[in-house]
Amino acid sequence: MIPQSSPTPEVKVAKVPWTEPILLSISHLTRYTYEGAVQDSFNEARLQPITDTLQHCKDFQFKIDPASSVRDYPDFYANCVHYFDVPQPHESLEVLAESEVQTIPETRGPVPEAGLKSLKAPSVKEQHFDFLHASEFVSLEADVWREAVDALPAGVSDVWNDTAAIGEYIHRNYKYTPLSTNVNTRATEVIKKKQGVCQDFAHLMLGLLRTHGIPARYVSGYFLNQHKLPGEIEASHAWLEVFIPGYGWKGYDPTHRREADTRYVKLAVGRDYGDIRPVGGTFRGKGTRKMVVEVSVQRIS
Amino acid sequence: MLLDNYETEDFFDEMFTERGGGVRPHYQRVADRLQLLDSGEHRRKQTAVDLAFMRGGVTFTVYNDDQGTERIFPFDLVPRVIPDTEWQRIEKGLIQRITALNLFLHDIYHDQKILKDRIIPPHYILGAKHFRREFMGFNVPKDIYVHVCGTDLIRDRDGNYLVLEDNLRCPSGASYMLENRAALKRAFPDLYRNARVQPVDNYAADLRKVLQYVSPPSLGSAQPNVVLMTPGVFNSAYFEHAFLARQMGIPIVEGRDLVVRDARVYMRTTSGLVPVDVIYRRIDDDFLDPTVFRPDSLLGVPGLVHAYRSGNVSLANSIGTGVADDKVVYYFVPKIIKYYLGEEPILPNVDTFLASEPQDRGFILENLGKLVVKSANEAGGYGMLMGPWASKEEIESFREQILANPRNFIAQHPISLSRHPTWCNTETGGRFEGRHVDLRPYILYGEKITVTPGGLTRVALRKGSLVVNSSQGGGSKDTWVLHSDS
Amino acid sequence: MSEPLIPTAQKPISNRRDSLVMLSRVANSLYWMSRYIERSENVARLLDVNLQLMLDFADFDDDQLEKHWLPILCSAGNEKTFFQLYEKADSESVTEFLTFREENPNSIISCLFSARENARQVRDQISLEMFETLNECYLFLKSSNAREVWQTGAHEFYEQIKKYSHLFQGLTGSTFTRNEGYEFINLGKFLERADKTSRILDLKYHILLPSVADVGGAVDAAQWQAILRSASALEAYRRFHVEDILPKKVAEFLIFSPTFPRSIRACMQHLDEDLHRLSGKERREYKSPEERAFGKLLSDMNFMTIEEILDTGLHQFLQLVQTTLDQLDDHIYREYMHHPPVDTQAEILLHQQQMQQQQ
Repeated sequence: MIPQSSPTPEVKVAKVPWTEPILLSISHLTRYTYEGAVQDSFNEARLQPITDTLQHCKDFQFKIDPASSVRDYPDFYANCVHYFDVPQPHESLEVLAESEVQTIPETRGPVPEAGLKSLKAPSVKEQHFDFLHASEFVSLEADVWREAVDALPAGVSDVWNDTAAIGEYIHRNYKYTPLSTNVNTRATEVIKKKQGVCQDFAHLMLGLLRTHGIPARYVSGYFLNQHKLPGEIEASHAWLEVFIPGYGWKGYDPTHRREADTRYVKLAVGRDYGDIRPVGGTFRGKGTRKMVVEVSVQRIS
Repeated sequence: MLLDNYETEDFFDEMFTERGGGVRPHYQRVADRLQLLDSGEHRRKQTAVDLAFMRGGVTFTVYNDDQGTERIFPFDLVPRVIPDTEWQRIEKGLIQRITALNLFLHDIYHDQKILKDRIIPPHYILGAKHFRREFMGFNVPKDIYVHVCGTDLIRDRDGNYLVLEDNLRCPSGASYMLENRAALKRAFPDLYRNARVQPVDNYAADLRKVLQYVSPPSLGSAQPNVVLMTPGVFNSAYFEHAFLARQMGIPIVEGRDLVVRDARVYMRTTSGLVPVDVIYRRIDDDFLDPTVFRPDSLLGVPGLVHAYRSGNVSLANSIGTGVADDKVVYYFVPKIIKYYLGEEPILPNVDTFLASEPQDRGFILENLGKLVVKSANEAGGYGMLMGPWASKEEIESFREQILANPRNFIAQHPISLSRHPTWCNTETGGRFEGRHVDLRPYILYGEKITVTPGGLTRVALRKGSLVVNSSQGGGSKDTWVLHSDS
Repeated sequence: MSEPLIPTAQKPISNRRDSLVMLSRVANSLYWMSRYIERSENVARLLDVNLQLMLDFADFDDDQLEKHWLPILCSAGNEKTFFQLYEKADSESVTEFLTFREENPNSIISCLFSARENARQVRDQISLEMFETLNECYLFLKSSNAREVWQTGAHEFYEQIKKYSHLFQGLTGSTFTRNEGYEFINLGKFLERADKTSRILDLKYHILLPSVADVGGAVDAAQWQAILRSASALEAYRRFHVEDILPKKVAEFLIFSPTFPRSIRACMQHLDEDLHRLSGKERREYKSPEERAFGKLLSDMNFMTIEEILDTGLHQFLQLVQTTLDQLDDHIYREYMHHPPVDTQAEILLHQQQMQQQQ
């Protein structure tokens, strides 16, 4: 069963970002079961929450079953990557990441205006080259380009306002529909289907932003879901960050049409899903396998 | 006799001076020997060489060929000769070039000073297909990125040597260099002995030394286990892989023979798992490890990159050299040499224009019918427009491609490559005619940099053709660097 | 090849660091290269002998022809596949099926193709002359005039195949480095040879009942001669047994003869020595149940008599030999190839972990 989190229902009040710091306890379990025994499994995981000015990962436990030694390295986007292998025959693999994260309110002050000219500065284009160009899941070809023009007909006038406008456009024209897409769905397909889940909305919006020359990167992580039903299983979440010249990176969640505030915990950033796969790897054996993902995000204080 | 009526025409000829002139001094011995040759003797010698190559499997496989079968890389009996002084200059130029490129690669993957100083616009590197951002900040053993390099040289109408391109990923052809020498020694033993040619047989031993030199430091003084990793028998260069492994006395393995345990690499042997310390890999970065690079690659070893990252195994060439293999970087090499070494290039580039550089784009688009246009990332002579010989449709198609993706195209004036007497079969037997040649010397970078004297001379067998690659109808010759100048 | 085994993943880590180690995959290729060549030679000999035999029985009707050729077909091919391609089993159809048909994995051309493929995989291990010979033989079979040669003079054709095989085996003996690879080549050769000799003998098993020990009619005598010829044993037998060809004596000769190098016991003796050289163990010490079963069979054979075998049944004995050899193949595979080469087994393929979509 694919876990889903229910999208936040329409709230008829102005969207005010949460500003209180929150201490969260997060558990993310991935369990693979295989047909027959498999072996020679080599894997990478990006499951350790980031520590930066907006969040502090206070505790992190990484457990593998069957037990194996785990090493880590920082990848190109400074995400902490854990890697491990399970050589012996095994019929299931469990990867459990448990963390305690303190989110921190924004201290940079209000977002300044940033127009088209600021985006064209060579330093912006060079430093954020990766987040301005097409990537595996996000093409910048005709379909995406046309959609970008529709989303922002007048072009860029202010980066953050335009980001929200594009977010509104997506909300009006796309429907959040679980099971309508899969983990390999590309941005161009989302445009055709006009529906998807948060991973798809993130990819879509990245395409639209990049077409307009706004550097934008994919964010993988979790958020505190206040409207969760008791016992409901959640999944990891996807949103994005845009680069605002003179300010820095700021998070926006297209699925919920809001700024990524203190309810959000970041795991990793990259060009698209391909750069932040929570768990990925290879193994030898029969190809049939089942996967169960269980995420829980609890507020401690 | 067979050299009578040989026409140098309007090209620089390796053997003869200008039209009607005489034999160059360093070719005198060869010319004298050829005068004694009749077509019957030539046919016998050629047949013997071809048969030996075919039966011995000195072959390669052509991908675009319908048959998909093995073919011999045609070998022409007349050696190309280079006098010693000329070679010394070439050698200096090649050493200068690879030193600069190695420093460039180190810089690109660390501080990127050359980009910050705006010598090269950063987007060329950041957007390069083979730039391995995963390896930013990674320290390769002994700071050597390119252990084996094959640089292609040509000569223009005045006989000047120019660099055509650098091959820094998995350059091939060294085995042909060695086999060609063996074949020529068998065909013309007396000529060879009297000419006093610098030997090439040290190549395998030198390469092995380079590989041992970069073994992981954790090994200490223990003898490192060096292996050659090949994609397998179905790869067009498999013969070379097996040949070099045999010459170096090291095991040849495929991805499926290796397994990673605990971030160390092992070979699956009949005695159990044997540790591997250095891998001379003839597989492109993309296919090395399905866990990290292309997930569909069956040629790689899951976990290899982790072992590499942990410093438990060394790879030659290091991961990430492909970014310097790009023709766009080629465009900037003269600046690269100046930036890191403060010197002018000893061996100049062919004059090149880059479509994404504003000052070049207009010129290229206006002169497509006169220029040779190459795709920046393809190898083997594919994706190329030969302006003066192309049809209107081809030119228009290229114009569209250039406009769509200018970063991907460079252009050069067509060069009249030098020519060399080469055997051509005719209805009446055969004779020597001039055919265009290039030269690929091999440079090894270890504790010191060695350039094997000579290298592979490739020849375009079709009359008038400038394409020398094996996969498109080229052949090869033995290359002699003399101990003296004649 | 035997059923793929998923090996245990904890292999011993060797402390060898030299370049003389043998890759499991290479051992596997050498072993099978050798087995396939031996197999092709045996099929060639079998067909050659039986074709010559048929010259003496040109008046056989269809039924008799089929009765003669079917057992031969079954020993080196698949009956079902055969009848998908041909209507009846006679000299021409069966020999063609067993010589040229690629649909038959045990035809001469299939065996040589597989042998060459395996040899290609280990080009760097075998000498140039070995590969050249194998290559030439294969190119000969693929050439357009191979069929012509076969049709105009089948005997010359099969002689040529045998010559290539002998040349290959001779070159192996004189040019192959005496490393572990040599043991695997020999294991392959002798295992295949023992197996084929037992099958050749088995072709006539139904004739030998416990009470019958006399010579039959002229047809029968000719067929027994053919059996000996198929094992290249006729002259050797005659030197040993001056009198007529007696079925019981033929069986005894082909199973037990210590001096005839193709006898089952002689082959097994070689196998035993090679196994010990590989394992490094003392004589009569064995590493696995299969190896032990093999050792026991060999030991029994040193003391058995042909009468004892005929009492229990020749066919049963020959089946036991084949099963024991088959299990020995398993043992070699498991013990030395450790991890099987991944591309020959559909099960041991590389797969990606399933990826989780972010909701």
